[in-house]
Amino acid sequence: MLKYIRAVALSSMLALTACGADPAPGPVEQIIVREPGAAPAVAVAATEAPASTLIADGKAAFANCSACHSLEQGAANGVGPNLYGIVGKNAGGVAGFAYSDALEASGIVWTAAELDSFIADPAGKIPGTTMVAGAIADPSKRQAVIAYIESTTAN
Amino acid sequence: MGKWSRRAFIGAGVAAGGALVVGIAVRPGNPIDGLSPLLTDGENEQLLNAWVKVDTDNIVTAVIPHVEMGQGVYTALAQMLADEMDADWSKVQILEAPADMQYVSDSIGRDFLFPNLQVPALIEPTVAGGILELAQAMGLQFTGGSYSVRATGQRAMRTAGAAAREMLVAAAASEWQVPAAEITTADSMIIHAESGKSEPFATFARAAAEQSLPAKPKLKSPENYKIMGQPKARHDIPEKVDGSAVFGIDADVPGMKYAAVKAPPVIGATIESMDATTAKTMPGVLQILNMGDFVAVVADGYWQAQQALGTIDTRYSKTEGDGLDQDAIFARYASHLDEAGEDGGDMQTEAGDITKGFTEAATKVEAEYKVPFLAHATMEPMNCTAWVRDGKCDVWSGHQAPVNARQAAADAAGLPFEDVTYHNAYLGGGFGRRSDSDAIIMATRIAKATGYPVKMIWSREEDTAQDHYRPSATSRFRGGLDKDGKAVSWDNIHTHLFDPADAPTIPHYNIASHRIRKVDVSMHLRFGPWRSVDHSQHGFFIESFVDEMAHAAGKDGYAFRRELLAKSPRHLKVLDTAAKMSGWGSALPEKHGRGIAFVPSFGSIVAQVAEVDMSGPKPRVTKVYVAADPGFVVNPDGFTAQMESGIVYGLTAALYGDITIKDGAVQQSNFHDYPMLRIDEMPEVEVTLINGDHERLGGGGEPGLPPIAPAVTNAIFAATGTRVRELPIAKHDFA
Amino acid sequence: MIKLNVNGQAREVDADPATPILWIVRENLKMPGTKFGCGIAQCGACTVHLDGKPIRSCSTPVSAAEGKTITTIEGIAAEDGTLHKVQQAWIEAQVPQCGYCQSGQIMAATALLEKNPQPTDAQIDAAMAGNICRCGMYGRIRKAIKAAAGIDTAAKVEA
Repeated sequence: MLKYIRAVALSSMLALTACGADPAPGPVEQIIVREPGAAPAVAVAATEAPASTLIADGKAAFANCSACHSLEQGAANGVGPNLYGIVGKNAGGVAGFAYSDALEASGIVWTAAELDSFIADPAGKIPGTTMVAGAIADPSKRQAVIAYIESTTAN
Repeated sequence: MGKWSRRAFIGAGVAAGGALVVGIAVRPGNPIDGLSPLLTDGENEQLLNAWVKVDTDNIVTAVIPHVEMGQGVYTALAQMLADEMDADWSKVQILEAPADMQYVSDSIGRDFLFPNLQVPALIEPTVAGGILELAQAMGLQFTGGSYSVRATGQRAMRTAGAAAREMLVAAAASEWQVPAAEITTADSMIIHAESGKSEPFATFARAAAEQSLPAKPKLKSPENYKIMGQPKARHDIPEKVDGSAVFGIDADVPGMKYAAVKAPPVIGATIESMDATTAKTMPGVLQILNMGDFVAVVADGYWQAQQALGTIDTRYSKTEGDGLDQDAIFARYASHLDEAGEDGGDMQTEAGDITKGFTEAATKVEAEYKVPFLAHATMEPMNCTAWVRDGKCDVWSGHQAPVNARQAAADAAGLPFEDVTYHNAYLGGGFGRRSDSDAIIMATRIAKATGYPVKMIWSREEDTAQDHYRPSATSRFRGGLDKDGKAVSWDNIHTHLFDPADAPTIPHYNIASHRIRKVDVSMHLRFGPWRSVDHSQHGFFIESFVDEMAHAAGKDGYAFRRELLAKSPRHLKVLDTAAKMSGWGSALPEKHGRGIAFVPSFGSIVAQVAEVDMSGPKPRVTKVYVAADPGFVVNPDGFTAQMESGIVYGLTAALYGDITIKDGAVQQSNFHDYPMLRIDEMPEVEVTLINGDHERLGGGGEPGLPPIAPAVTNAIFAATGTRVRELPIAKHDFA
Repeated sequence: MIKLNVNGQAREVDADPATPILWIVRENLKMPGTKFGCGIAQCGACTVHLDGKPIRSCSTPVSAAEGKTITTIEGIAAEDGTLHKVQQAWIEAQVPQCGYCQSGQIMAATALLEKNPQPTDAQIDAAMAGNICRCGMYGRIRKAIKAAAGIDTAAKVEA
């Protein structure tokens, strides 16, 4: 990569000779919330998308998942495990379901973030998983589905 | 193995960085005076020349002017120095050189850059003939281009070691009043057999430093190598297994805060407006910055910064890249190639009469190949820590060209170069990505705005979407075969790539008439060197087409290449070795196939045979046989590791790598949609190394990569009859 | 205050309970050996043990660790500094290149051998497939795990 290196070298040397050139642009807008070490202002909870819409969207989207997964407390496992209360459980933690070795060995605790990346690409996240269908590419749809799953447990 | 000395060095209060010290250090009469305080503690250590110091415990420290990103350069270069010096390897330590521009004047820089000017006399003594390579690889302290061993090592480290040895011997000869010729050296000892005197190097270190530098130190011939050619354990490995290795992302500066950043998805766009209503209220948030070309949130913790950043609603300006999709990009390539037609485009090389060659050809072959954009996906996302205050700037990162990083920080801070201290750390993968200074500039600008130290870390999503990509490309070929099935003409035109210029050429193949042209296609994306650079694309193009020609000639791919290499025994030996290792020609199970590819690059010659199993739902590469001739292998285990590594990097790209553009923006974001080869897909790799020319060394970091994609696609063809002309392989259905 | 046990020591941190363990160990506890790679449990660079099991610390909130034991790369060597047999095997097989993923690889490997002292090749692949190495040292990782398990002796490279 002779030419490339020379290009790098050249630009560097030119930059040297141009010492004192205008510095890179500063901020267009600078919001200083507080200085380091200063006590934080009273924390206000972040506003989030209205939960009810999200959950309704998730319920609709979960229709695709229900071919394999139940969300009813105590209902039997299907092709996939019952997902009631899945958030917070260890991967491979639903009683009576025959998990793949890969999923069981994954060591994952099913947080919303974990579920999100798993549903985005099950085999990519846990190569060897038996969940071969049902990936959801759309992040907002995943978020809705996870919110719905969480909501059923909370109730 | 010597104790790793990097931290001790920093602990001594000396700024770490890289070395632009070549000219000064080897200048006769002024070897080390200015440099010494930077590199030694002044008490127990003596700098002998720019590359080596000796302390009172007889520890020899090799000063390495390159950065370690896993390629094993610290160890290989130290081996070269230590061998010429006759040092005891168990007492050799390694230090990354500090770069300090005060030791290099602009005039030296200019001389490095413009080799047509008179070679500067002051560096003549040790680098005669190597000036250009030195300037490129070492002078500006760039690590890349597979240059370290073949340029810095061969031209500088060995010479420095030999010079140091001669200076020690001269000092001893003077003290003992015996002829220097009667003195021998071994294992860091100076020995005069006749008088029975022997002393460690350290005894004469101070006196040696006062000797003048030998003009032409005598280098060893290969039969006398003791350390070079041996599989020495890498010095950087112990601290990489206990979590103590310090990477750029691990910089720890008192009072440091954390920044998360997001740049417009379409390169070139700017921030039109930013709504930070929610972010302002979130825990830990200190500042929210609209920098014009990116948004940054500074917080007490990185996760807090990241969470707040996610709530900011940003509007971006329109750009010329908007609306551009991947298909349109390839269509643009096609239209430029169409426009160039039979005789247009920029000529790169031409030999023989291409028209005659085709007219007389008995068989004509045509093919078009495409490769996608690729991201580097270094495991360590881009990051940089900066602190700008009181007219000074400190910057911490891992960069392939520390001097460039320092200059970039100086420009961003609006400070002179000398007021910037650049602290280089280990690189969590370089692969070319860390030769660009975009992250350095961003962090410095943020830190300048805040006034306190800030560690900026890119999310994986930013790292994927804001890379400096390996360019996508289209390449078209016409080939002609005579009535005996011998290749007689080769006509190639491709979309312009990056570098090196020899990547599309085929000087190793004996084809009577050939012509290679390129067309330039503009694009709004940013491109950068990606491991093996243009060889990553042209290796695939060339070796696929050679295979297609072989098939058209009714010949086996190995036999066909043998004909093309018949006049080049060194190349032929590499090809034959790989074929033999693989049992080429022996039977394979059904739906299995073998493919061969041969790509010389960066001074090294590499042939690979891949075996694929096409019986499952997707292609599985089961074995890769590698034969490589880099001239002389300094560290066989290290070089083998580089071959393994290049194969995985190239195989990942061949199977899966696909950065696509939609509406001007990169569509991929993380490892779920930009997948990597994982351990369950790792083929067995067998490597044979050949020392074909100890005078001319080749590189190791990159040459293992180019042959793997065509070796695999050629194997897929052998197994299925389907020719893969567009990467990645995952795009294709072989059912 | 969140009470934690990290590498055998009781620690308290003042943090949002939703903060991933990764950032707690790196920033609050100043143990940077555990690395950030992807943030979504895809790459394994952040692997630590939670009660002996490998977890992706970038996606596990610190609240999940209350009352449990966290072990990081800094905590697997013996108290006298003797390296864990997996770490030793890693050096012998000269596994790391850039080294960035290796803390995670080693934590995944130690957890595997804890649970399964004599893993088969397929079991090694299954347990380690969540850990990406861009330098591609998978062959050496397999070899080192087998050496640590006493299955195979890794070729030793002279020091």
